[in-house]
Amino acid sequence: MGEVLELKPMKLFDTKDTTDLAVFVRTSDEELVTWNRQKIVEALIRETFLDRGTAEIISEEVEKIILKSGISVLTSPLIRELVDAKLIEKGLEKARKMHTRLGMPLYDVEQLIVYPNKENANVPHGPEATNLTLAENIKKEYALLNVFSQDVSDAHMKGDIHLHDLGFIDRPYCSGQSLEYIKKFGLSLPNSLAIAKPAKHPEVLLAHMVKFAAALQSNFAGAIGWDAVNLFFAPYLEGLSKKDLKQLAQMLIFEFSQQAVARGGQAIFSDINLYWEVPKHFEDVPAIGPGGEYTGKTYGEYAKTAQEFVKALFEVYMEGDGCGRPFFFPKPLVHITEKFWNEDGSEEFLELICDVACEKGNTYFVFDRGNTAKISECCRLSFKLEKSDFEDAKQPWKMRYSAIQNVTINLPRIAYEAKGDDTKLFNLLTERIELAVKAHIQKRMFLEKLLSQGERGPLALLTMNKDGQPYLRMHRVSYLIGMVGLNELVQYHLGQEMHESDFAIKFGLKVIAHMKLLCDRFSKIHNMHFVLEQTPAESTAYRFARLDLKHFSEKAGRTVKGDISRGEIYYTNSTYLNVSHPINPIDRIRIEGLFHPLIEAGSLTHIWLGEKRPDTKSLANFIKKIFHNTENDQVAFSPEFTTCLDCKKTMRGLLDSCSYCGSERIEGMTRITGYFTRISSWNKGKLGELRDRFRSKDYF
Amino acid sequence: MILFSAPTCDKCNYIKKNFNLKELGIRIEELTEENAEGLALLAWHGLVKRAEEGLPILVVEKEKLVIRGYENIAKYLERKVRLKN
Ligand SMILES: [Zn+2]
Repeated sequence: MGEVLELKPMKLFDTKDTTDLAVFVRTSDEELVTWNRQKIVEALIRETFLDRGTAEIISEEVEKIILKSGISVLTSPLIRELVDAKLIEKGLEKARKMHTRLGMPLYDVEQLIVYPNKENANVPHGPEATNLTLAENIKKEYALLNVFSQDVSDAHMKGDIHLHDLGFIDRPYCSGQSLEYIKKFGLSLPNSLAIAKPAKHPEVLLAHMVKFAAALQSNFAGAIGWDAVNLFFAPYLEGLSKKDLKQLAQMLIFEFSQQAVARGGQAIFSDINLYWEVPKHFEDVPAIGPGGEYTGKTYGEYAKTAQEFVKALFEVYMEGDGCGRPFFFPKPLVHITEKFWNEDGSEEFLELICDVACEKGNTYFVFDRGNTAKISECCRLSFKLEKSDFEDAKQPWKMRYSAIQNVTINLPRIAYEAKGDDTKLFNLLTERIELAVKAHIQKRMFLEKLLSQGERGPLALLTMNKDGQPYLRMHRVSYLIGMVGLNELVQYHLGQEMHESDFAIKFGLKVIAHMKLLCDRFSKIHNMHFVLEQTPAESTAYRFARLDLKHFSEKAGRTVKGDISRGEIYYTNSTYLNVSHPINPIDRIRIEGLFHPLIEAGSLTHIWLGEKRPDTKSLANFIKKIFHNTENDQVAFSPEFTTCLDCKKTMRGLLDSCSYCGSERIEGMTRITGYFTRISSWNKGKLGELRDRFRSKDYF
Repeated sequence: MILFSAPTCDKCNYIKKNFNLKELGIRIEELTEENAEGLALLAWHGLVKRAEEGLPILVVEKEKLVIRGYENIAKYLERKVRLKN
């Protein structure tokens, strides 16, 4: 593309009314044309609905300025700036907004191209990635100007709330699906040249899965999750040798972890949901096998094969990549249901996944207690299956769920504004949730506009209709409302952090209960599904802390976590306890778990391990205890690693130099929030958190 | 003691009708859309999922007891009434 990004280039070039100015204009169509005042008039009328008279006057005034300046080559962005200045002068604020040019200053573009992106650690630094960021920046501005109302946009800019993924305004947030869809319908994507029939072989099914995931990634902003992967693969795997199973497991994990070509060179943020036991809701479902045909058996009958496959997957996770490092993606989420504990071999399997958790940290333990089945989507987004879902479970290809957007509330700021007054605090909280709801309605309207264009529209993939419903089932989507800094809200409001007293935890629960009930009430009012989510907040916890330090300096100065002198500041994520508080992991899991049942879109407790490797058997016992004695939804254990860039060896812990060759060219890695990544890519807020994290050493 | 109940729950109403809860020192938490405090308290006791499965639930904080099912609650309360008289 040319030197400028003009959204609506002035196409008309009318020679009738040109003044004889010897000025050339560089247009965004990469043309050099002679000055034509009429183009300003046309643009103003087309874009802002101004009357011709006013448009003429403005264009004449701008022409005068240009004449006076003696400038010989103009750019269309400069002309637009001059026109905008005139519009402001005349008090035509609305027209000025409509006439705004979206883009970036030269300086910023240079910074972006030359230096790495620290906003999202999952985005590498490279030409494809900077293309993505440039586009994101424009879409972000577009969203704030054109999709959301001024009050919503302002609230975002001020940091009262955070609208996530504004750069992906024209896509939904995340998606969870079933392999059954591609097993049944094959792979025929809109705009793709070749259509593939349902796979006949496991390798082909895997290829379809990876390609479909990549296609989905370019239609969603966040995670792409797959339900019951080992189970749905099983009908393709009968009779395969152990070696072949392992080979396929290896292919699956490497394919997803190396899929770094799709969007801006990012890996696909992918989750695979796995089960040891066949979950109740799939037991009697007829299984689909090679060629998309029913095999004549139910999934209940594939338990053994599914188990062999999930074991093979974890053996691969245990080995890690070529350097013995943990795989960053796909994230394995093991669901443990009530059935698990009575299933043959479950103890041995529990030890295997605990071994992987201790050694590499990959395993996510998801606890599906009672009769509430869940599928997990991204970092910690999972959906409880409702009645209608159990109906869908009989035809699992229908089981595709999506969250449209995530809006996060800056909780500490509410406490600063409430000045210790309970009534004010809860009132402000209600107002912020109302704003979040408004933002969701506006995003929905915008997406519906895009979806209404069907197969010829930008979201063609999501409208493809193979089973009587579009791929994106808008009637089943959720809208997420997240929170950052409950701990700091409580700290400022009560003078105690949550780990300091039962009273503080109870107050925290009251805040979240208030939020949850509001979600329920707004869901009824708007017939939309609003749910609370623990925002992963890789950058939001940092952004809110930074903005509050600026606008509520004295108050935030006493509250933000991290190191203010280094600028490494953050708020505690979602409903977590202070990450630095030295607390027995079981207590952390129990206390944080009290919040989980109120947070419908899924929650998670992190246990940071540091260099310590817990004993596998003790961890397995620990998991049993969590399942039976707490309400905690999901737990992950995060070790830390250092990889030597010279000798390629990987060591436990974050080291200053390689313990094999002494090299200082090393790279640390651990879990940032929802996934493993290199620490060198972390933003300052997360680095502050990393320094503070309490590593559980002696408890297992 | 706290009795978690809901306005439309018949089994809860049975307990409320048949016992003088106030006299027994029992506080009623009606779990409604407006009662965030009640929901928070329920969460504090780790009973959100239990409550979804069925109400009423009686929590006897002193004895660290959670009693589920209206028949069990009724039995427990009958004993309390007897002890009182
Ligand atoms: Zn080395």
